[in-house]
Amino acid sequence: MSVFVQYLVNGLTIGSFYALVALGYTMIYGIIRLINFAHGDLFMVGAFAGWLVVAAAAGMHLPVAMQLLLALLIAMLAVGLLAMGIERVAYQPLLKSSRLSILITALGVSLALENGAMIAFGAGFDTFPANILPLTGFHLFGAQVGYVQVAMFALALLLMVGLYLFVQFTPVGTAMRALSFDQDAARLMGINVEGVVLITFLLGGSLAAASGVMMGLYYTQINFMMGFLMGLRAFTAAVLGGIGNIPGAMVGGLLIGVLQSLSAGYISSQWQDVIVFAVLILVLVFKPTGIFGERVVERM
Amino acid sequence: MATRVGAWQPLVTRWGPLVVLALALMFPLGANSYWLTVGIGILTFAMLGLGLNLVVGYAGLLDLGYAAFYAIGAYTTALLSTVGHMTFWETLPFAVACSAIAGVIVGYPTLRLRSDYLAIVTLGFGEIVRITATNLGFTGGPNGIYAIPAPSIMGYQFFSQDSQYYLAVAFLLVVLFFTRHLAHSRLGRAWLSLREDESASEAVGVPSVRVKLWAYVFGAIFGGLAGAFFAARLTAISPDSFTYTQSINILMVVVLGGMASFPGVLLGAAVVVGLPEILRFMQLWRLFVFAIGLVALMLLRPQGIWPAASRKENPFGPGSERKLGPPLPLEALARSRDGDGEDAALDVSGLRRRFGGVLAVDDVAFSVRPGEICGIIGPNGAGKTTVFNCITGVTRPDGGDVRLHGHSLRGQTPHQVVGVGLSRTFQGIRLFKNMAVYENVLVGMYPHQRATVVDSLLHTGRQRREERDSLLRCQALLRFCGLEGLAGHRASELSYGDQRRLEIARALAAQPKVLLLDEPAAGMNPSEKQALMGLVRRIRDLGVTVVLIDHDMNLVMGVSDHVVVLDRGRKIADGTPREILADERVVDAYLGRDENDEEVNAWPS
Repeated sequence: MSVFVQYLVNGLTIGSFYALVALGYTMIYGIIRLINFAHGDLFMVGAFAGWLVVAAAAGMHLPVAMQLLLALLIAMLAVGLLAMGIERVAYQPLLKSSRLSILITALGVSLALENGAMIAFGAGFDTFPANILPLTGFHLFGAQVGYVQVAMFALALLLMVGLYLFVQFTPVGTAMRALSFDQDAARLMGINVEGVVLITFLLGGSLAAASGVMMGLYYTQINFMMGFLMGLRAFTAAVLGGIGNIPGAMVGGLLIGVLQSLSAGYISSQWQDVIVFAVLILVLVFKPTGIFGERVVERM
Repeated sequence: MATRVGAWQPLVTRWGPLVVLALALMFPLGANSYWLTVGIGILTFAMLGLGLNLVVGYAGLLDLGYAAFYAIGAYTTALLSTVGHMTFWETLPFAVACSAIAGVIVGYPTLRLRSDYLAIVTLGFGEIVRITATNLGFTGGPNGIYAIPAPSIMGYQFFSQDSQYYLAVAFLLVVLFFTRHLAHSRLGRAWLSLREDESASEAVGVPSVRVKLWAYVFGAIFGGLAGAFFAARLTAISPDSFTYTQSINILMVVVLGGMASFPGVLLGAAVVVGLPEILRFMQLWRLFVFAIGLVALMLLRPQGIWPAASRKENPFGPGSERKLGPPLPLEALARSRDGDGEDAALDVSGLRRRFGGVLAVDDVAFSVRPGEICGIIGPNGAGKTTVFNCITGVTRPDGGDVRLHGHSLRGQTPHQVVGVGLSRTFQGIRLFKNMAVYENVLVGMYPHQRATVVDSLLHTGRQRREERDSLLRCQALLRFCGLEGLAGHRASELSYGDQRRLEIARALAAQPKVLLLDEPAAGMNPSEKQALMGLVRRIRDLGVTVVLIDHDMNLVMGVSDHVVVLDRGRKIADGTPREILADERVVDAYLGRDENDEEVNAWPS
């Protein structure tokens, strides 16, 4: 029991990181039908941005809480702007072309971000200061729960709820939802489509950055290729939840985290990705649009 | 962006391949061992690209785990030649068979998924294969398999770089031969039609799931073949060669070169493998510059470096008689009604369909006699199109039955309905927009063509005869619909009225007993409508029973022998045009009561 709870707690923590990245995949797919392969790499850039800020702030002897807050905010803003820039330069001109050409462009951007980071930060690992976060925690059903885990989970949840409220209750959020149904109709209703798409990238990018900073702090080690596996898993999470569906991405992310933690714990970490993908394929075979996805009815 | 057929085009198509082949064969004379290795890499990726091109470029199925088939071919050859002591050539059939089976395993349960979901399933499959190979004992784990014997022919061992390079050229030529044959066959056209519009393709008689499965299987076969070659050439393989990144590289070859374009794939392979090597002097910056170049290239040429020609040569142009033989007379299109039997051509009884709380079709029954033109009218929302969709198997009715010359169509899928002899057109035009006009019609012939997959692969005499007959029939159909001169145009280039007529030609290609036309006159001007009425009558004269829906009273009343009126899902009248115009309920429900009935009087009766 206690072992199971421990796996569950660890899985939920990692799952909340996945969920934040999965949200970006799902939002961007929802409005421009693009699987943004560069999204995992934005997460990586976020981690490095946070690392740079922590290093700089530590140099200025700022209190730890201040360091963390600054790292989070600056990373989110920087990566959000980067995502907007990428959309403007590399994706927007291709929105009317075949969907595969924009997909290849996204792969090119991903490769450029990875190699750019490698040139800037080297191919090895960089580490966050080890003592920056408290290691204390409490016991729950015999499992060790760190305060850090709780705080990160809560922060992730807060961001997700914030996003959900934004999409549901603000004019821009309404415009985003309208765009996901029919871009041409939305344009005819006077919505600035390009602007809304840019805001979607801003939001998606900053959520990925938040996830990157938290993951970097949680595992302390960061590397230029860390976005690759994250991208794969977050994309899986988004599809599992039903791509284009915001609550679906949250649930999908948490599920993938838990599934991975359980299969690594009870079976073997070597097989964890096989199990995750096998579950995904099974879900899709029986529920072809993911857990929360709606059936798309085609008109004749 | 249409690439015009220029004067240089015939020269390029005739001599281009030979020049490229000659250059490829001379390459080892001037290349050192490093560039030979790069050359072999390009050739291997070209094989993989050609295989994946069938899946992505032709059938339009996004595959992100293609390296799995490459891996399965490579591991099969590696295991059978090291543990099973087979020669390379003996392992080939097994490598091909294993990858084909893997293709069926991934394809069968997942092909009903929408394309983006398919993408992640293939990605997952690719990772599963790689991780499994990494973790199992008999595949050598992360180290892979060593000491795979090199291929040999009659004692000659392919050890040297030069010999391996030529072997790769030979393999590529074989793959090119077969993939080109497939692309220029009924299967290749069916793939393209699926890429363009899956439901339209199914509705003109293409069995979409089976055809997609063939795309998967052939993609897998050529991937497996490339894998087998790769294993024997390197004499050692490990899971690192079959990563997700590798799948992405192969996908880049296809999209960068130009989808469904053979020269494009070859160029794409040269760029994806060659460019990073040329950039090697940049050291650390190499892949970064490559990535930026990739993005720039896609921005400049979204359709690929060498896209497939958007306009084809008119196959019925001057000189076509030498190739095809004399054109068929239009009478050849007539069908004999001898075998049709005594039953009604189309008999609809008790048809019901509910959408949520709305009863869209409520107990509709009508019967169409062989050889007549039956019009179905009714105000918007009367359930006309739903009736069509229920008849053609697009929508499953909640109750009732549809019989075509006595055969029940209940539970049949759209392509099966076409096979039985019922074709349709769509309310909103649904052509295969990026295919040539004549190709659209040829896709419509799919249900009647008999060339097997093996015929398509080898272009046997039977396949060639059938293609010639199909083209002649296509020519006659296009002439019948007044489109012969436009045969080589892209369907999307046609005017609105021509597109409507092309849809009719495509539907007639399936040799239907009954043809359903869903608002054929929508958006046409009066003179086009007049011509359409003539066309509908001429179709009837071919021996085809016609059922048409339209809003245009002049058209329906003028052309129909028999009119059915629907209102709010129910049939409210059924009779000759004259009876319908006199019917009080019709006037009430549909035509509305007008003080001065000028308009009604204006109708032909």
